[in-house]
Amino acid sequence: MSEVVQPASLALAVSRPKTSPFDWRRAVPLLLAAPLLIYMLVFYALPVVAMLLRSVNDPTWTLSHYATLLDDVVFQKTFWITINTSVTVTLGCLILGYPVAMGLVRAKSMAPFILVVILLPFWTSVLVRSYAWMVLLGRHGLVNEALLALGMIDRPIRILNTPLATQIAMIHILLPYMILPIANALRQIDPSLIRAASGLGSTPFMTFRQVILPLSMSGVAAGTLLTFVLALGFYITPAMVGGPRDITLSMLIAQQVDQLNWAYAATLSAVLLATALAILAVARKLPGVGNAFRTSMR
Amino acid sequence: MSKKTIGRRTTLGLLGAGLVAAPFIRPSFGQAAWPEQTSVPDILKGSGEVRIATFGGTMQETQQKAYFEPFEKITGIKVRAFPGSDPTKIKAMVDTGNVEWDMAQLSRGSIMNLQKRGDYFEKIDYDIVDPGVEKQFRFEYGLEMLVWAQVLAYRTDAFKGAVPSGWADFWDTKKFPGDRALYGTNSGGFPEMEFALMAAGVPPDKIYPIDIDKALASYSKIKKDVFKWWDTGAVPIQLLTDREVTMTSVWNGRMAALQAAGVPAAVSWNQGLSKRDAWGIPKGAKNKVNAMKFVAYSTMAIPQARVCLGIPYGSVNAKSNEYIPAERLAVLPSAPDIAKQLVPYNYDWWIDNRETVIPKFNKWLLS
Repeated sequence: MSEVVQPASLALAVSRPKTSPFDWRRAVPLLLAAPLLIYMLVFYALPVVAMLLRSVNDPTWTLSHYATLLDDVVFQKTFWITINTSVTVTLGCLILGYPVAMGLVRAKSMAPFILVVILLPFWTSVLVRSYAWMVLLGRHGLVNEALLALGMIDRPIRILNTPLATQIAMIHILLPYMILPIANALRQIDPSLIRAASGLGSTPFMTFRQVILPLSMSGVAAGTLLTFVLALGFYITPAMVGGPRDITLSMLIAQQVDQLNWAYAATLSAVLLATALAILAVARKLPGVGNAFRTSMR
Repeated sequence: MSKKTIGRRTTLGLLGAGLVAAPFIRPSFGQAAWPEQTSVPDILKGSGEVRIATFGGTMQETQQKAYFEPFEKITGIKVRAFPGSDPTKIKAMVDTGNVEWDMAQLSRGSIMNLQKRGDYFEKIDYDIVDPGVEKQFRFEYGLEMLVWAQVLAYRTDAFKGAVPSGWADFWDTKKFPGDRALYGTNSGGFPEMEFALMAAGVPPDKIYPIDIDKALASYSKIKKDVFKWWDTGAVPIQLLTDREVTMTSVWNGRMAALQAAGVPAAVSWNQGLSKRDAWGIPKGAKNKVNAMKFVAYSTMAIPQARVCLGIPYGSVNAKSNEYIPAERLAVLPSAPDIAKQLVPYNYDWWIDNRETVIPKFNKWLLS
């Protein structure tokens, strides 16, 4: 098929006059994407730029808002809490998600069912899920009642409104973003490699360590990045189920918007955006991770 | 409150709780008993519409019946209500010249805070405002239209019959064990530094100007017991219902519904803060003349009394009390017996000091 097409397109290219001002054929993909591009430009890019500008031109052109962050204890603590929460949640997703991804890939007839279970949280609003965690983790919630009934505790323990509650709820919300890229990478592994490994006397664990794990690293990288960057921006969940001191950067931004300190809020937003972009930029340069971007696109 | 007039659901709640000692509040009175405004000065009549931003919920439902519908009927001006009033939205609307609300329910604090940063509100035309509206509720860029209270609420089943009264009791976790919740700063609010000071023994009339460091030092004593710094009125109600806390601060209007649902909880008015909501007219509002008419109408004695009958909040019009049964008056934050237990919230102090308090409070909270 391609051999037939090639000469034709070649002929077309040759026959085209060099002075042609505009190549309509090449413009087609761009034209098809144009409505979305314009939409994103007008309703996303421009407002974001306008918002970020506030961090340097309110009330006059100045970098003072950024300078004050250097000795702003509240910002630094909040930033640390945000990073710390995101790292913990990402690790939790990885530890819980990897086995699920393996199960999903190996399951034959059960696979669609497992997929639905994984995706179910996707289709529920974050707000509803956070409320559900309040019911489960509350002082008189299901978890406490169960632990009491089993005699594992004497009186209800505080889970709701602690950092642990934030981590549990965020892991629940973000798990699909970890599982799906890993499952994708696992599915790409040629089964004959695994058969070859065991044929050469490898134990299942060695096969996992030396064949499966290295070959799935692109998926792990993609899932980790996706989960971490999404976790950086969490707002509703920590606000609803988190502890009294669980103030994330997004919560501080929301508070400052409400307090009409828009320049400060814009500065914090710029820092959050820059952090996410920096992590993506650094990660792309890491060996093997660049592939992850392509893998996750498939 | 005589037993005969207690609604069926309240009665069930009382039976369920096995407690009659706490003052239970009926959330609303049957509309048939509401007074009717049968005439208004011609100057309040007009045509067209007025777009009003409210805080939504049961408050807006009450406003609908109390003065939106009667206003339409009597003045010929159509009312369109929008839940979600928010000073940040008004700032954005006026900044971009796209003012979508003709008036909004706000507070004196948020109106004056915005006005400090630019010209965001129209001046109120006091020539058409009812003389019954007391002086303390009037200010240049807004008119207060609702009196409410931020008070101590507790589970009546938590302390073996002991009744907490005032913030020293709230701070005393030995005598009154259990977790606490207090108002935080997450949705544009301000910490209840007044409560912290009273807990430390500052007399109510010596609270302002607030000694911020002293308040934070007092807060430190209860910090580990504060399970949640709440941000919206529904949160403390849910925490009391789910037995997550034994004591919290609340907005008084929310408690009526909770008690009607049978939750064994009560309010202690002593040392509560008396606060007010206000109407503000955003600068450049298209129907500002109609908005001014509505401001005047809604603060007249009868429309104000109708609100008090619909939801347990107080009136700004001294003559409203004539239209409110004594039994109802006794549970409103504007009732003389209750009002004298409350501390008037000082909006002026907060307008001047909010930018100092928030960073200090944030820093304290995170330390």
